Amino acid sequence: MVETPAVVLVEDERQIRRFVRAALEGEGCAVFEAGTLVEGVREAADRHPALIILDLGLPDGNGIDLIRDVRNWSDVPILVLSARVQEKDKIQALDLGADDYLTKPFGVGELLARTRALLRRQGRANASPIVAFGDVEVDLSRRLVTRAGSPVHLTPIEYRLLSLLLANAGKVMTQRHLLREVWGGSSVESNHYLRVYVGHLRQKLEDDPTQPKYLLTETGVGYRFQP
Amino acid sequence: MSIEKGGGALPPHKNGRLLALPTWQRHLLAVCICTVTALLATPMAGRLDPANIVMLFLLAVLAVAVSLGLEPALLAAFLSVGLFDFLFVPPRFSFEVNDGQYVVTFAVMLAVAIVTGRLTAGLRRRADESATEALRTGALYEMARDLSGALMVEQIAEITGSYLHRVLNAEAVLLLPDGKGNLKAVEVAGTKGLAVEPTLAFVAYEKGEPVECSPLAAPGFATLYLPLRAPMRVRGVLAVAPADGSRRPLPDEHGRLQAAASLAAIAIERVHYVDVAQRTQVQMVSERLRSSILSALSHDLRTPLTVLVGLADSLAMSRPQLPDDERETAGAIRDQAERLNGLVANLLDMARLHAGDVTLQKEWQPIEEVIGSSIKLLGRALAEHPVKVSLASDFPLVEFDAILIERVFCNLLENAAKYSPPGTPIEIVVRAQAGNAEVSVSDSGDGFAGDTVALFEMFARGEHESAKPGVGLGLAICRAIVEAHGGTISAANRPQGGGSVTFTLPLGEPPTIEEEPIPGEMDASHG
Repeated sequence: MVETPAVVLVEDERQIRRFVRAALEGEGCAVFEAGTLVEGVREAADRHPALIILDLGLPDGNGIDLIRDVRNWSDVPILVLSARVQEKDKIQALDLGADDYLTKPFGVGELLARTRALLRRQGRANASPIVAFGDVEVDLSRRLVTRAGSPVHLTPIEYRLLSLLLANAGKVMTQRHLLREVWGGSSVESNHYLRVYVGHLRQKLEDDPTQPKYLLTETGVGYRFQP
Repeated sequence: MSIEKGGGALPPHKNGRLLALPTWQRHLLAVCICTVTALLATPMAGRLDPANIVMLFLLAVLAVAVSLGLEPALLAAFLSVGLFDFLFVPPRFSFEVNDGQYVVTFAVMLAVAIVTGRLTAGLRRRADESATEALRTGALYEMARDLSGALMVEQIAEITGSYLHRVLNAEAVLLLPDGKGNLKAVEVAGTKGLAVEPTLAFVAYEKGEPVECSPLAAPGFATLYLPLRAPMRVRGVLAVAPADGSRRPLPDEHGRLQAAASLAAIAIERVHYVDVAQRTQVQMVSERLRSSILSALSHDLRTPLTVLVGLADSLAMSRPQLPDDERETAGAIRDQAERLNGLVANLLDMARLHAGDVTLQKEWQPIEEVIGSSIKLLGRALAEHPVKVSLASDFPLVEFDAILIERVFCNLLENAAKYSPPGTPIEIVVRAQAGNAEVSVSDSGDGFAGDTVALFEMFARGEHESAKPGVGLGLAICRAIVEAHGGTISAANRPQGGGSVTFTLPLGEPPTIEEEPIPGEMDASHG
């Protein structure tokens, strides 16, 4: 992992920049601020950031354009800040390559948790093939799932879905994306399949399937594995 | 647009002024012409053969027949025969005829007069008719042209009425259906109006066929009801009666009346669709405006709230740590800001629901998923209350809008947490009940006092709650959302204490989930 990860913060409200900067610097990040879309694109290109935090509603344009732009040359994680309640904006941002989003207003604790998860993902070059959460352990190299030491039976689709979520830990996966990856291109309209299979996974892996701790629902958007 | 008003029916058109003269003048003219012919012929009596002189008289008869009509021609024929006989046939100056051959002359002259007179009269009549016809067609064309420029039904009624008055000498009134299925007359300023029998008008409207009642109509009532048939549907009824108040059937002229009715119907339909298009346009613009105002409002309200929450958090988390007292203050600021955010969310939701521009994004899904996400979303607000969810693990999928039903759960859970003592559990029970999924959210507080139905009215709150924050929008929003899904919502107190809100969602037929084709399972042994 980089010693002091660079974070580019694109947000037009100065006070929001102030507290986000303070929180991230407290985590040992170097923060570069931008108040407009144009500045944001420039900073993103110049600073080789480890993370971009992006407000969608900027005075000189839509943050969506920055995502599209940056994704042409970089895989840097992008965390979207959105005051918009419209789910379709979030889905659009995620489908274009944003990794996660926070709806305003958000707490500093939440912001830091998301930031850490995204930075960790970035530094996961020599990650272990074993992912553990709660009392569940998944060995991705041996396709083996155990819970409290005893093996858990998953169907091929359940396993494919689980490994996809685990491989993108902390990232919001849109319903469309999951359906395309797990069921193939023709299934993008069968959202209920996805929901039913996530339900199966929860029943097999979560302590309380009605109040999951790891396989989280982003209502109207998709799912996220929260390690 | 020019509409000639009044003036009565078109005068029957007559070619040639002579034929228009009164009968006695025409006869006098015929006499004159014959007399003049006789006078002109007298000097030639000695030099010309009578057979040639008779030709002059024949010419006169012909002239009279052509220009003055049949009866003057007959008069001219008799007169000419008489004059010729008296003046030119030997013995002159007597009616005595010596030579029998002149009988032929008389007969020919008479025949010429009759044949020519009748021919002329027939030709004239036909010419008159076609001229009138041309005028009427012109009037119809003019009506069509005027109608094409009409923008309101009143104009259509006026144009149609004026056409019928001018061309057919008829009174007309236009009847259009109002919103309640009654036919109402379109008022036209400056007309005395025609009384209408509503039943007959309605029959014409419903059946789409003309209804005639000429001999039976009371004076001042319409004698004929014509449906206004437009391409899409019958648009109304045109009621007509002769303008002179008589009960005679209107001439023809159904053809012409029908044509006028068709033109009016098409014009009414056109005006109707222009209206519809305009309304849709206005509606679209106002909807777009409303939705952009709401999202701008949402952005503007949330930005300062974000700053408040973030700065208060930064204070609480600052290092070195603040004294407890100040940390608590920072925490309180944050909590209040979050509560304000909840109120803003509810207000915006209500505005959106109230404006009716919410389209349900219904999808089949397990209901426990949205319960879980609501609990997660509320987070700290539920910290003091464990939530117990009871639902069968094979509960069928339910079709609903996840985002809206999440709002329902959030509001109900938040209320339950707010009105029950810290540490007490909140219970969510989902059951299938008479074709519905029945969901109840119960707490262990004091329950509801007073009218539980009024709780769901906008801004209503239970009596005992006055010390608690909230404007009571939450339950009104829940009701709006649940009702939009075709469900019901109600509140009650549980026998064991505490309040309970129950809502239903229709179950319907969930789509089938195909089993995975390969039953092969992931298993330790397949490693």
